[in-house]
Amino acid sequence: MSRIACFVEKYNFSDPREEAALQNFKAAAEKSGSQFSFLFRENIQDIPNYDAVFIRATTDPLFTSYIVSKTAWELGKKVIDDPESIKICANKIHQYALFEKHNIPRIPTVFLSKDDLRHKKITEIFDTLGKPVVIKAPYTSFSRYVEKAACETSFREVAKRFFKKSDVLAIQKFTPTAFDWRVGVLGNDILYVCKYMIPKGKWKHGAKLRGKPTVIWGRTVSVQKKDMPPRLREVALKACSVIGKGLYGVDIKEVNGEYVVVEVNDNPSIYAGYEDQMDPDIYQRIISHLSA
Amino acid sequence: MLVVSSIGLCDDLHAVKPAVFLESSIKDTTINLTNDYRYLKTGYYVSLHAEVLGSQVIPSCENIIDASRTPILLLRAQKANIPTVPFLVTDNVKKIIKEVGLPVVVFAVNPFIHEGYKVAKNQSALYRAMKSLGMNYKFTVCAQPLRGELNTVKSVFGKTELADEQISAISQKVYELFRIPLCKLHVQKAEDKAFLCGLEPLKETELSKADLKLISKEIMLISQQGNHIGV
Repeated sequence: MSRIACFVEKYNFSDPREEAALQNFKAAAEKSGSQFSFLFRENIQDIPNYDAVFIRATTDPLFTSYIVSKTAWELGKKVIDDPESIKICANKIHQYALFEKHNIPRIPTVFLSKDDLRHKKITEIFDTLGKPVVIKAPYTSFSRYVEKAACETSFREVAKRFFKKSDVLAIQKFTPTAFDWRVGVLGNDILYVCKYMIPKGKWKHGAKLRGKPTVIWGRTVSVQKKDMPPRLREVALKACSVIGKGLYGVDIKEVNGEYVVVEVNDNPSIYAGYEDQMDPDIYQRIISHLSA
Repeated sequence: MLVVSSIGLCDDLHAVKPAVFLESSIKDTTINLTNDYRYLKTGYYVSLHAEVLGSQVIPSCENIIDASRTPILLLRAQKANIPTVPFLVTDNVKKIIKEVGLPVVVFAVNPFIHEGYKVAKNQSALYRAMKSLGMNYKFTVCAQPLRGELNTVKSVFGKTELADEQISAISQKVYELFRIPLCKLHVQKAEDKAFLCGLEPLKETELSKADLKLISKEIMLISQQGNHIGV
């Protein structure tokens, strides 16, 4: 019998769809004879008592979730998300550098260092990528810290804000599409396929309404795995292969018949009735992976 | 061997500036020298760039992250037989008092504070320490019992200027494990034994002329030993 700890923070229970997904994981584990306990930050020292750790709290090398992941890893436990995946996925500079090295089809991207924020460099970027461009902080998640800039003034304003935390940023070609493919991958195999629709009049899946702090999200349309375009499958698996063998959500855009990777996320969102709609077995598959 | 440095080194040492290195594709055994290896800062990206190019580099990105996360620093140190004291990661004051006791030394474990620790000798001091390092109790801290005197030493390629043999031995072992060329170590001495407590970045102004000479000497030594950087 495998004992699985699911590391969560309080916010993981604030959305009923996420809470339902967490209960689905628990039910799937118990059905297969495993123990499944929620592990909160005050009980981190209990990690040695478990066989596997499944992280659902947001991951980043600077968050408690990394301490949990690395502790479990050092103690020889099975862990999703593993520290190497967190290290690569939580830093888009790392990820895009690997994509370039391994020739993964991707959105045209250049890196900008803090010392390089000069008129000549910004002009060069606009000449290469066109206007507007998308400025992405390496630590982006849930569509945050990704902003558009169409002129040098707004470019400098956004970049200066993002440079407060990271000394290098990613600048990407603005590539609007009606939706992003979201491909769930586990251990080099496709877990689920969705379309993350872009809200009307917006350019990213999660967008703020003008002047308001609320984020609106586009619909999630679940797609049967058998209907997945073969090239989409190939690109998604290839992108994950340069990162690791964990659980990932790959964002891919379809541009002129080509599939280009936007990013690979560790710790992908799993909401009941959304990512699992066509593939209700995803809970069981993730639990089996952890208890294998 | 390539030396990438953000600090002014002795004249006998040829070094490439981080900005130049980040634009290049020079593949070579790389020593990344900076006083500040914090995650997301230029020092981190230098090691990242070298790793992606396929070069051997010190320090590695993994070690940069792990050494700055006190619970992981201590866990890996324990596994490598470097003396440490038991630690607790929590955001709960009462738990610290019950399980660690007082006096206690508290290190921040959050995305915003990269250096410093606080010593609390009584409950109200612990509340203040947790409030400040845990940013109003929002984040966890790493608490360790304070059993003796806390020392802070500069480590230059594992060498310290302190004459204490045990602290020097810890500094050397921490360098062998994490390969962070320049940092500060917090070590406590209790009952005539030394225990590693934490690691933090150096300020550039903390590097003396003697340290710069020592850096030159260590790099010459690595070069003479066939660029073996122990990766």
